Amino acid sequence: MIKVQRKNLPWKEGMTVASLLEELGDPYPYAVVKIGGKIVCQPDFDITPVPDGSEIFLIPMVAGG
Amino acid sequence: MTPLQAKEIATLNYTPPEIQKGYTGQTLHVDLSDRTISFKPVTEQMKQVFVGGKGFDLWLLWQAVNPSTRWDDPENAICIGSGPLGGTPAYPGSGKSIVTSLSPTTGSVMDSNVGGYFGPYLKFSGFDALAVTGKASGDIVVFVDGIEGVVKILEMPGLPAEAYDLSNVLTDHFGKGKSKSISVVSTGPGAANTLIGCLNFSWFDSGRGRVRYKQAGRGGIGTVFANKGLRALVARWDSVSMKTNQPDDLDALKLVAKKHAQEIVALDPKQNEMSRVGTTHIVDIMNAYDCLPVHNFQYGNHPQALNLGQETYRRLFDKGFDGCWIGCTVACAHGIKDFVPMTGPYRGKKVFVDGPEYETIAGCGSNLGIFDPFTVTEINFYCDTYGLDTISVGTALAFVMECFETGLINRTHTQGLDLHFGNRIAALECLHQMAAGEGFGAVVGRGIRKMKEIFARDYGADPAVLQDIGMESKGLEFSEYMTKESLAQQGGYGLALKGPQHDEAWLIFLDMVHNFMPTFEQKAEALHWFPMFRTWFGLCGLCKLPWNDIVPEDNKDTREPAKVMKHVEWYAEFFTSVTGRKVSPDDLITMSEAVYNFQRIFNLRMGFGRREHDTLPYRAVGPVTNAEYESRSERYDKQLSEEHGVDISGKSTDEKVALLRTFREARYEKLKDAVYERRGWTKDGIPTLATARRLGIDFPEVIELLESHGIQE
Repeated sequence: MIKVQRKNLPWKEGMTVASLLEELGDPYPYAVVKIGGKIVCQPDFDITPVPDGSEIFLIPMVAGG
Repeated sequence: MTPLQAKEIATLNYTPPEIQKGYTGQTLHVDLSDRTISFKPVTEQMKQVFVGGKGFDLWLLWQAVNPSTRWDDPENAICIGSGPLGGTPAYPGSGKSIVTSLSPTTGSVMDSNVGGYFGPYLKFSGFDALAVTGKASGDIVVFVDGIEGVVKILEMPGLPAEAYDLSNVLTDHFGKGKSKSISVVSTGPGAANTLIGCLNFSWFDSGRGRVRYKQAGRGGIGTVFANKGLRALVARWDSVSMKTNQPDDLDALKLVAKKHAQEIVALDPKQNEMSRVGTTHIVDIMNAYDCLPVHNFQYGNHPQALNLGQETYRRLFDKGFDGCWIGCTVACAHGIKDFVPMTGPYRGKKVFVDGPEYETIAGCGSNLGIFDPFTVTEINFYCDTYGLDTISVGTALAFVMECFETGLINRTHTQGLDLHFGNRIAALECLHQMAAGEGFGAVVGRGIRKMKEIFARDYGADPAVLQDIGMESKGLEFSEYMTKESLAQQGGYGLALKGPQHDEAWLIFLDMVHNFMPTFEQKAEALHWFPMFRTWFGLCGLCKLPWNDIVPEDNKDTREPAKVMKHVEWYAEFFTSVTGRKVSPDDLITMSEAVYNFQRIFNLRMGFGRREHDTLPYRAVGPVTNAEYESRSERYDKQLSEEHGVDISGKSTDEKVALLRTFREARYEKLKDAVYERRGWTKDGIPTLATARRLGIDFPEVIELLESHGIQE
């Protein structure tokens, strides 16, 4: 089980950030997510595994400067 | 310790006026040459057209100077104001001050936005804004005491030279046992010995029992301050509550403040954790997206960059509340305690460092090829202590290092300093030299525009190369984002009124990553709306971070997520509740347009403010060198062939660099056309008479100025 935006979702073997986002079907172009307190950026979504038990926040980042 | 001496040069007693709906109704004028203190009324027209804060500053500065005034002339003014919403304790980010003056590096109008308590304390003491003109000899301190109702010009010999020592003794002296009642504006010795001096605005951190700082860094206003013979401005005020601004509708104010404050408390820990790591998370993100400046903006990422990222500073920052104004829930002004510098006058001593923030890390770290967080922290500390702008120091040193590595300058010119990228000790030594006005540091401290002249004239360096790699525009050093792959951010920097600082328009992420503005028209619209809305924060005494650095969870589902319209609506409610002036989100943009266009016309008055002044060094637009091209060759080759229809087979890198340059420079000029049209300006970048009239800035002297530049009906 993982938690995405405070909602429980089933975890799957081999799950990555990219596959999770695809499964969620959310069309927003997320640039950044946070997994277990660590920032992961879109270029690494494909290669970043989502461990079972993770808490994930999808950050709708529009600012920075 | 020897008691401080304070000789009264001028004194004016007054009865602080009752604040009404965020305004005191008067401004304070201190002339150091004539040794006079006076007050002037704030008119209804000033409130309607200029709103407050930066708007009032610009109006006071306009009246103080004339078209031939130079930065170091006595009539140049340093103007400081908060704004009608400034000093609200419960609404996040409501304690800002805005400083304006004529800049030593640009020659034109500079503005700088800063935290700390001075602006709110100045207002609560009875003044919507302050203008200091003239020059004095000796150590001058201007003391505004809102509790006793007195303004004094004091001569205080024997004050410490360095910034923290100075603020500490003045806080003790004027606080009379209540340090929290004092805010000090000061600079350090480096401000007098360079053109890139900053101002430190203090507040007393009761939790830690120490004076803390935020900086008005950009454009050398600290240098103007030192040149006037000023050592400090001190404001004294008592307690602050939601009622202190005497808002029009206290209940409505409490409601909207609570909504925004609580949202930040709920969402910041899940989003960027600014209350824990400040803006250091941006390092990781910019590095991932190839936007972190590395080696003088040549490259956008580096494998060691995460040494400088949020996980490092999460461990280094001292835990505790770090708001630079009372009750701010963003509370991002973090610092490092018990830091021990390895060089300079504080070598081996424990000090507290206010920072670093993203800009300092990128400018004084990755852009110099320095990936050691302790060196970055040390540079941050000495910049603050010496009164130097970390952004200009970082960008200027990065330019010097590239010149050194490529042989444009050598050890003879640097007087023995080995200024290769990554040489931490040489960077620190150069910084100490800058502050002292000695050695090669004295040259670096003049800023990039002057260095380009010196390197070409005295050292024989190629001026065309210096122009391409010297990251300044309008005379101001770039802040720390890589713009090569974002046309919108090129506009955000190149079309910014004061020079390339991201506080007008930070569009790089929206453009590059989210692709929210694929067309020229959309980019032009963004380069209208975003600078206008960000200007509004400076009119009101607010910080922009609560607007779009923590965003509602449903923001992504809104029609225009980049604008975070839910928060814009809250800001309209905030403004209405304090001032009683009923406004909509669109009205906020119109308010800003008036001040924004006035500042553009002010630039014109000072001999700038035309199309030719909105230029960028090519490094900001595209790859200058073959190595830069080749580092992103896949992207550039694709652009040449697919976007521009070039057959690249058999072409050398030199040829491809030249071709890409032609296309990209033309594209930037096309962007200028689109933005000028959207803003209601001529093709030369000058507001039209119709624009001035629509915005209510058609004062006779404005119309006369525009007409003298050939602007006709």
